[in-house]
This record gives sequence, structure tokens and C-alpha cells, in this order.
Amino acid sequence: MDAKDILGLPKNSFPVIQEKKPRPPRDSQRRPDGVHREVYALTGGMAPLMPTIEVSHLKRKPTVDKEKISWQWLPFTSSARTDNLQLYHWVRVVNRVPPTGDYSFAKYNKSVEVLKYTDEEYEKHLADPMWTKEETDQLFDLCERFDLRFVVIADRFPTSRSVEELKNRYYSVTRALIVARAPSPADVSGHPLVKEPFNLAHEIERKRALSSVLSQTKQQERREAEILAEAKRIMESRMASKSSEEVELPVTSIDNGGSEKAAAPGESISPSANNNPSSSNVAPPAAAIDTTSTPASLRMLRVYLRTHALEQMVQAVSSTAGMRTIKRVDQTLQDLGVHVKPKVPTKSVCAEHLELRKEILTLLNLQKQLQNKEAEVSANRETSFTEAPGTPKRSYRGDVDRPFIPDSVGFGGERVGKRDHKRKAPGRTMDAPPSPPQSKRPRKLKTSD
Amino acid sequence: MPNPATAAAAAAAAPSSSSKKSAGDPPESAGAGAGSVQKAQRSKPARPSDDADKKLLFSEEQTKRLKDVEISFPIVYGTISFWLGKKASEYNSHKWTVYVRGATNEDLSVIVKRAVFQLHPSFNNPTRVVESAPFEVSESGWGEFEIAISLFFHSDVCDKQLDLYHQLKLYPEDDSAPQSTKKPVVIETYDEVVFSEPTEAFFARVQNHPAAVVPRLPPGLSLPPPAPLEHVNEKKRGDTKDHALSQWFMNFSEADELLKLAAARQQVQAHIVKLRRQLTKIDGPPQQSRAASGQ
Repeated sequence: MDAKDILGLPKNSFPVIQEKKPRPPRDSQRRPDGVHREVYALTGGMAPLMPTIEVSHLKRKPTVDKEKISWQWLPFTSSARTDNLQLYHWVRVVNRVPPTGDYSFAKYNKSVEVLKYTDEEYEKHLADPMWTKEETDQLFDLCERFDLRFVVIADRFPTSRSVEELKNRYYSVTRALIVARAPSPADVSGHPLVKEPFNLAHEIERKRALSSVLSQTKQQERREAEILAEAKRIMESRMASKSSEEVELPVTSIDNGGSEKAAAPGESISPSANNNPSSSNVAPPAAAIDTTSTPASLRMLRVYLRTHALEQMVQAVSSTAGMRTIKRVDQTLQDLGVHVKPKVPTKSVCAEHLELRKEILTLLNLQKQLQNKEAEVSANRETSFTEAPGTPKRSYRGDVDRPFIPDSVGFGGERVGKRDHKRKAPGRTMDAPPSPPQSKRPRKLKTSD
Repeated sequence: MPNPATAAAAAAAAPSSSSKKSAGDPPESAGAGAGSVQKAQRSKPARPSDDADKKLLFSEEQTKRLKDVEISFPIVYGTISFWLGKKASEYNSHKWTVYVRGATNEDLSVIVKRAVFQLHPSFNNPTRVVESAPFEVSESGWGEFEIAISLFFHSDVCDKQLDLYHQLKLYPEDDSAPQSTKKPVVIETYDEVVFSEPTEAFFARVQNHPAAVVPRLPPGLSLPPPAPLEHVNEKKRGDTKDHALSQWFMNFSEADELLKLAAARQQVQAHIVKLRRQLTKIDGPPQQSRAASGQ
């Protein structure tokens, strides 16, 4: 509508022509079929935000695939085989040219070079009262046949020898041969067998330790976790006391606690008997400060404001706590509807205020302890879950070499006890209430507010 | 009682030598003459001579100090400010009074010899010395700033000064309430001036004074009978019970505070008990299982 409409004048033809001119190009951009009008209205006529793909790109065909690939069932030979057995496999054939050359996996066929010794050499260097020559010959035969797979060798060995004994004999003989055949000892000092001789005692000890770890009862594991958790806590409190640069008092008390625990690591450390490093950390200085008496520094002033005295005493009370804890104390005060700084700081108000702060500190400490405990318990529970029947432990046990069977008689005895625990385990986890903890506790605090 | 200063008080200008925003004056009215005047005032010694007091010879009895005794004086300091309403101009929107009073409106001049109020440097004569009760300064201006109040005590009380700091407030905290000329903005702080190990003479002098909180003396200590309260008529003048602004003074209730604290402590203690129980509960079961396995 314009002035001409209002005036009732006929429309001039001139602007109509002007209007028609831009129209045809607009028509050429007509909405393609299948696109909703609303959608087109959003994008239509606008330059696309993303660069579109050039048409030439689409038209060009990928030139890469000129070669023809087929898969064929073909015979092959392997240099790893000595028997010329003819085997077949599927091969990728490019342009009808089958691949030539050795079987690609042949290179993995490694064999160990087992030394041979002559009778004189045996007499001269290799005689061992524990071993006959026949036994040694048998050992070397088997070593060659099974490529030093000693577990297999021990399995086939006619006389009863442990894997360690077999290994020890083999390596000591080989080492003696290498040294004897070398022109000078210096030439072979770099040889791995000479440099790092097989240590029979160490190997036996290693396997014993391994099997004892693998056959640990759940209880032992839990105890270990407890000790570790405790050690962690002690470390943490030590770090805290170090950083706060506090009086020796708390430090020494922690040290005592630490040494006590260190003295009896294997003994059953009853969690209740923990002389909680965190609480003992705070208690002594708090106890040392008498709330009713003002700091000597202020008394020296002859005149001071009650609020200043309170500030100093608050600082003294929270001196052992970290910044975070101090903030949490203030937050708790607010949650309780108490002024962080008393509005009417009379003597008794200040004393009460200080007591409240101390109690909040105790509360926070207890919360922390509880959290630690819960973490400990849940950690124990995790380990007990992984220990559930049919865990790797059984299979490992099979791996433990036979020579350890006599030892594992002891384990067997323990295993009975272990089964006992397993029966008890669910009971334990049941009556330790499935940790109402982390999520619930803060809420509890609020409800009582 | 000093006159509540009017617009004239704020007319004198100060060069913005202080880092603080000029609160009392239009900044553009700064003049060289005014600046030098102000400097001279500021350099004025904070404590005028009190030779008269110092010349007093103290007897041994008078200087003897009472160990483990403290005398405290509950005080309240703060400001009350009135909006000038229709009369408000750009640089004189509020009339305010800063003061130190006894918490129960008793006369503080029993201990306080002099109070020095340090106003914003843009005020004319920013260091205001008040030599007698009531210890207060009234001014008018447009800006909020921190007022330092130094209390000087009589020589038998303490020879050290005590500094208080108060933030002047002119505008109410909640913007929702419209400013009114009837209802002032009152900000008061309660505190207690504590004198540790007072001299026996001082103790005897204030023992029965209503402004003092005096402890019971440990047995075996005898003191001279309390001196009769001097300056009876002066005292009449010094208290703030009939103060013009007394209807706006706030009440500070120790009982309320104690009740709140007691309730909070109860809650916290209950929590502690609960936590302890939880802790022992967690500790308990493993012990049992251990005992069982030991069999």
C-alpha cells in the first residue's frame, strides 16, 4: 500500500515492469521438489553457509582401481618346513600374478642353538656330582627338541627334577662350554649367559613369593589393603603437618603412631585401634588452648577489643587445619544459622563460639575418618569381588610349577580356611551396611539443620 | 554536644591526595588554599598534651597491677544517617552521626578521656577530637567511607590507645525500601574494651561503675574501698540514655546469641555422636570376621 492506493490513483505501469525484471531469476531458483516450503524458506535464496562440492569433483572417477584383485586357493611352500609338506592357503592375487617368495610366516620359525659337547669336554668342565652324564645328555636332547621350553622339558624328563634344577643345569653347562671354548674369558664377558648367570636360589624364592601372592586368602588381602590405606593416611597427615609448619607436638604424635604401625605390620591391626592420626593431629593443640584465657600476646597489650581476642583464639584453634577445613567450618557455622563472627561478643559468647568451632572441627575430622573407612571397606569389597570363585587365581595355580607342589600342601591347608571365608564373605558385606556414605551424608547434615 | 554540621562543613575542598574516592565534597571544587588548610589540620598531633594527668605521682598502690583480672566495658560504635529528603542536594544528601557509646548507654568518660574521629580527608578538618562524652561527630555529605575512631583513656586506665573502624552507611541495604527522611540507616557494632591486669587504683575506681563489667576478685585480695563516684553532675551529662537518637540505638542481646550457639552446639554434638556410631559400626564387622577366622 502506498500513497497512490490511498489516493485511489491507478498504478503506474513503470514500476510493474521494474518488478517483473527481478522475478525471472527468482523463478529459476525455484524450490526443488521434495523440500518442504518451510525448510526452503529457511535456506532458499541464501548463499549456503558451507562450501558446496564442485560438480567436477563428483564427476571424476577414482583412477586408483585399475588392478584386478582376486583371492585364490593356492599351494605354498615354507622354508620353515623340512618335510616338503604341500599345504594350501588363500592368497590375494593382484592382476593374476600370484605372489612369489617364501611363506611370510616362515621367518618366525626360530630355533635355539643348543650347544653340543664332547666326552672330553664333559669330563673336563661339566662334571657335576648331582648330575650323571646320561641325565645331562637327556636334558640337552630335550632342550633341542623343545627349544628350551623348560616347563615342557620338565614334564618329559624321566627323573624328577624341578624346572629350576633343569634350567640351572642347562645354563651352567652352556656357560662352562662358552667360557672353555673362548680363547680368553674377556672375549665372552659380554655374553648374556656369562654376564647374568642363572640364579637358582633367587628363582626358587621368586616362584615361592609368586605362588604365595596368588594363593593369598581374602583375609590376608584385606589386611594388606588396610595397612596400605593406613600408610597412605599417615603419609597424608605427615604432609599436612609438614606444610602447616606446626609445632612439633602433632608431628611427634604422628610419628609415634607411624612407628607403632611399622613395628607390627603383619600383626592384626584392628581398625578401631587406629589412633587416628587426623584426630590426634588436632586434639593436642586444641586441648592445649584454654578457651577462657586470652592469648598472652593480647594480655601484654593491657587494652584490647574482645573481637580481637576472639579472632586470635579462633586462629589458634584452627591453626592445625588447612585452608579448606577452615572454610568448611565457616560454612558449617552459616548452615547452622550462627554468625561467623558473633554479633554480641561478650566473654561467654566468645567462649561458646570457640567451643562450637572446636566441635565442628571434630565433626569434620570424624567425617573424614568415616570417608576413609568407607573407602577402605569398599576397596576391600572390590578385591573380594575379583576374588570370586573361578577367577584367574585357579588358572595361575595350574601354572605354578610342579616342584612347588610340596609347598602348596601348605597352601591347600590354607585354602580350606579360605573357602571358609568365602562362605562368610557375603555375611560380612551384608552387615556392614552397603555404605550409606558419600552421597547420603551431606544430605543428612542438611536435614538436621 | 557539637552542632550537626550542615552543608558548610562539606564546602571546603580537598585535593584528591588520598587514594580514596572523595566522599564529602564535589571534586571539582578543590582549591589550593583549602588544601593547605587541611594539611595543617591533619598534621595536628593526635594526642594533645595531657601533662596534667602525667604529672600525677602514682603511689605504689596505684601502679600495682592485678594479675589474671580483666575489666571490660561493653561499647557500641556506629553511625546513624538520615536522608535529607527534599532538602537533599547533590553533595549533601545525608546527615549522619558517628559515635561511641556504652552498650547500656552508660557514661564512657569514666575510662575514655578523648575520642578522635578520622573522617574522610575531603571533609573540612577531617580529624575531629572529642574531649568529653558523648563521643560523637555529626556531619553531612553524600558518600560512604570508613571512619577510624581512636579512643584515648585516662592515665590510670591505660596509656595505650584503641582503634576502632567503622564503615559509614548512608543507603539502606535493601534497595526495595524507598529512602525516607523518617527512618535512618543505623549500623552499630557491639564490642568490649578489655583491660587486662588493671591497676588496683583503676579497679577500685570503676568497681561500682555501671558501665564496667568487673570480675570477682580472687580471695585474699583486699582493695581500698571503692572511691565515691566523682563528677556526679558530669556523669549525668555524659551518658547517652536521653540521647536524641536513642530511639534508633540497637539492642544487643547476649542471651539470644547464647541460645543460638547452644542450639548449634547441640546439633553438632548430636552429629558427632552419630558419626562415632557409624565409625564403630564399620570397624565392628571386620573384627568379628577376623575373630571367626582365627578359630
